[in-house]
Amino acid sequence: MSDFILCNWNAWTPGLDFSDDRLMTSGNAAVPECVPKMLQRRLTPLARAVFNVAAPCVESGKNLPVVLSSAHGEICKSLDMLKTIQAGDEISPTAFSLSVHNAIAGLFSIAYGNSQEITVLAPGLEGIAPAFIEALGMLNEGANEVLMILYDEPLADFYPIAPFNLNVCFPCVLALRIALSGNGVPLQLYRNTQSRDDGEHPVQLLAFIKFLVAEERSLCLGNQGHSWTWHKK
Amino acid sequence: MENELKQLIIDALDLEDISVADIDSDAPLFNDGLGLDSIDALELGLAIRKKYHVKIDAEKEDVVKIFSSVTTLANYIKSAQG
Repeated sequence: MSDFILCNWNAWTPGLDFSDDRLMTSGNAAVPECVPKMLQRRLTPLARAVFNVAAPCVESGKNLPVVLSSAHGEICKSLDMLKTIQAGDEISPTAFSLSVHNAIAGLFSIAYGNSQEITVLAPGLEGIAPAFIEALGMLNEGANEVLMILYDEPLADFYPIAPFNLNVCFPCVLALRIALSGNGVPLQLYRNTQSRDDGEHPVQLLAFIKFLVAEERSLCLGNQGHSWTWHKK
Repeated sequence: MENELKQLIIDALDLEDISVADIDSDAPLFNDGLGLDSIDALELGLAIRKKYHVKIDAEKEDVVKIFSSVTTLANYIKSAQG
């Protein structure tokens, strides 16, 4: 069991209908002005959304260690490149550099001059729990605060999904700032042995965003025999 | 050719806010001048290969000199095309 404080959060989910200042639900995510011009052109819509939720979550000018978590990352870019190769054309070096799983983390560290520890996870069936475990590990090793960014966008129709529950039909991006003490919402994370079927990372991420804005005190997410409970104390 | 090359740079590198007139033919393309980086160099090399069928071999050629400005790049492409 692990106790921690949710200091702040911001989310971008253009498919949810909740009224909460921390939740952006419409429009395209703009590029934050603090991002240098020459870097702005490299930001995909998903990267823009990540930058938009991460910026208000952290005190201006403060660089925290970061954990990013995404099942599919910029998979649409990878698919475009595969199509280019199939057509016999050469692929763009820029597109390649922006398609890798830590591309958004790289852009983020350059834009904000963040040289703290940054970890990028690609959890599937294990859902969103590994990101919390990683971030809690950093806190217990001495970090005062950790920024967590969880994101996924819909998969292209090209990919067969059935019978897996791993797709949401709109992008979900969530930034959380957590600490072991201080002001915020006290949360508890613990493992349980319930056999559940809550879908993979993108589906769990949407459920967690709903949990943040809802009245419910507890949320259990997992698959097969591995499940985790988040409890608002 | 200089203006054509400037337009290629703008299109290939997504320099939305920059026009042909903004690029000085003799100013450095990388770092201090236009502010391009190493990924831009690769992207530009690909765009030049596609448009002019000129391959700039990083192993053999003096790429720093060739890529130093629009003028040097245009001169290299002209000479390579013969």
